Amino acid sequence: MTDLYRKEEQVKKEQLQEIITDLTRPMNNTGKSFKIWIGFLLILICAGGIMYFRQLVNGLAVTDMRDIASWGLYISAFVFFVAVSLVGSLISAILTLSGIKWATPLTRIAEIVAVAGLFSALAIIVIDMGRPDRLLNIFVYGRLQSPIVWDIIVVNTYLVISLLLLYLPLIPDIALLRKNMGHKPKWQQKMYKILSLGWQGTQDQFKLLNLSITALMILIVPVALSIHTVTSWLFASTLRPGWDSTIFGPYFVAGAFMVGTAAVVIVMYFIRSQFKFKEYITDYHFNMMGKLLVLTSLLYLYFNINEYMVPAYKMKPLEGEHILGLFTGDFSLMFWLVQILGMILPIILMIFKPFRKAKPIMIISVFIVIGAFFKRFLIVVPTLLHTYLPVQNYPESYQHYNPTLAECTITAGSVAAVALVISLFIKLFPIIPIWETAHEKGISNETINN
Amino acid sequence: MAKLKISLSIILVIFSLGVFSQSAQWMVSSDNAKKPNPLEINPKNMAVGKNTFSKSCKACHGINADGKGRIQSPSLISETFQKQTDGVIFYKITTGKDKMPSFKAKLKEEEIWSVINYLRVLVNPSAVPPAVDVKLELSADDGQKSITAFVHSLDSTKQPIQDVDIHFYLKRDFGLMRIGEPANNTKADGKVTVNFPENIIGDLDGKVTVIAKVENNFLYNDTESAIGRKWGTALVSGDEKFNHRALWGGRDKSPLWLLFMANGIIFGVWAVIIYVIYNIFRIKKAGKIFIK
Ligand code: HEC
Repeated sequence: MTDLYRKEEQVKKEQLQEIITDLTRPMNNTGKSFKIWIGFLLILICAGGIMYFRQLVNGLAVTDMRDIASWGLYISAFVFFVAVSLVGSLISAILTLSGIKWATPLTRIAEIVAVAGLFSALAIIVIDMGRPDRLLNIFVYGRLQSPIVWDIIVVNTYLVISLLLLYLPLIPDIALLRKNMGHKPKWQQKMYKILSLGWQGTQDQFKLLNLSITALMILIVPVALSIHTVTSWLFASTLRPGWDSTIFGPYFVAGAFMVGTAAVVIVMYFIRSQFKFKEYITDYHFNMMGKLLVLTSLLYLYFNINEYMVPAYKMKPLEGEHILGLFTGDFSLMFWLVQILGMILPIILMIFKPFRKAKPIMIISVFIVIGAFFKRFLIVVPTLLHTYLPVQNYPESYQHYNPTLAECTITAGSVAAVALVISLFIKLFPIIPIWETAHEKGISNETINN
Repeated sequence: MAKLKISLSIILVIFSLGVFSQSAQWMVSSDNAKKPNPLEINPKNMAVGKNTFSKSCKACHGINADGKGRIQSPSLISETFQKQTDGVIFYKITTGKDKMPSFKAKLKEEEIWSVINYLRVLVNPSAVPPAVDVKLELSADDGQKSITAFVHSLDSTKQPIQDVDIHFYLKRDFGLMRIGEPANNTKADGKVTVNFPENIIGDLDGKVTVIAKVENNFLYNDTESAIGRKWGTALVSGDEKFNHRALWGGRDKSPLWLLFMANGIIFGVWAVIIYVIYNIFRIKKAGKIFIK
């Protein structure tokens, strides 16, 4: 009897060891292509850094933002990053709370995408400031009546919650890393030691951990909704054509779920193909993510129809001018590319199962993500170019906004920063939860702890 | 993988198509190029040129017209530039291109010709005599509400100087407001008078400051002088609208409902966060007990 038990125990132990070896493989094998990838990202970030230094010296004059279009690529990127970060709450909270099991291996990917997106969102807001040295004034002189102050509060709150929601489920895994990563450099082991909190896997500890995670998962849903709703209010609380809309909140949130899901699909694809994780990130996962993506895209399509159809039916003078600018005017090429390639076509394709296989859906997701970026541009810029008050005596060029090289480089750098944070995280922590995977395979806590 | 990269780059290109646009070169017809400059180079229209330049061109082309202004712009003192005829330059300034605005409607023709003369003098300073220092004094007439500027030589003889264009300004919160005529030239007695405009709001006591400047003048170096008077309407602060809690109020005037709602939400959310952080410490403690 005890023998049988021992044997079973032994099998489980081996199984666990196999899972650990598998899931820590990305941390141990650093291939050449990965180094090239990191080098590439660092070059982009450095180029952005140099351009930012130029901007610090010469001021925002190095951008093409002027009196009329005073928001441009940076703010578009900000809205984009915030949108991407919303997926953290969708996958690790909303899906998990509704008892959807298949999403478990993806929660950490979603959380790190969210955290990385938020870092860049915060950075680009400071980059957009002409006088970043006056950043603290927002706290010293900020008025609670201003949506910008709400935005700052809510983005930072969401960042803290996301970091916690990334960290807490990691604790048991970090304890495992402590035991299995003896060959890593000193600083890394020290980091694991501190972060593992002396995790022993006692019942008390599990109870506290699960309680905290559940509390955060419930908390993050309203906070996530409010972060993007408040971001949309930055626009919607003004009286300008194209922004003066009552559905801006849900419109932004729906769009955010769509682009975030697509971003996670892209990261999933590269993790799977790079580290041969076919067993952990299966076709089934891509299929389900594809369905989720169709759902969120349809929701977004619905809001798009509302957002453009209703003003287009009424054609109030200024609102109509704005709409025509998008439909047939200066921005029409970008507008239709974004709507068709970035939303309608993906929806149609993804309805068919073959397109929800790993590679096709990844390519579709790339379209969606790029489309989403330009969509933010289409929300921010055309409205600004329609001045409300009659203006005079300004150079004709102020009527257009074409991002300068400096803006493009800095924005590209901030996108690269998102990829860099995700890539480095993969090198330092298991991107697929070890402990939860083991649990699902029927390996008990005792086996894991010993 | 290679195929993938190609398709990704194609996607990028397609999407960026909408953003960029380019425009062509300046086309100057020979008629326009041969147009003669009707103005001679003399200190008086030189001053007009210098003024116009600092008002309309300096920001982009730089103080010294060397192209080192706030935006990327060509040098107007380079040899290649100066080789062009006055007519070509005149045409370019009137029509504009890309970021160079058209000045056809904004400047008078003689102002543009004067700027061109000024640009010529910048590379050939000996065309006008060197500038000298002068003294500028201000006096006020409280009955007439007028300000008189008196320009004289620096030495003790106080020789009055005629025909100096004085620029008068009112000091406002964020800059200077020009008052008086476009040109206020001193008379034979070295004096020129401007009337104080009506309906000017001063500080809390109604005090205003008038500044007079000799500037951008080719015969005389820049100098200025200021005088304060209680000629404005006193500023009334504490307008009722701003004195109660409202959305447009100051930091300490937020509406109560907003204070309660916003702070209530912040407090509620952060209470949970702090509770979770507290739990992290409890988890750590629970681990220590186990070791013992
Ligand atoms: C808003 C910025 C701006 C202002 C204001 C401005 N310029 Fe320019 N200017 C430019 C730029 C930029 C160019 C280069 C245009 C191009 O080649 O596409 C230029 C070109 C020119 C050229 C042609 C240079 C050549 O190589 O032949 C002349 C002449 C000129 N500016 C004169 C003036 C004068 C005179 C004024 C004031 C009355 C003025 N500019 C005001 C930006 C400005």
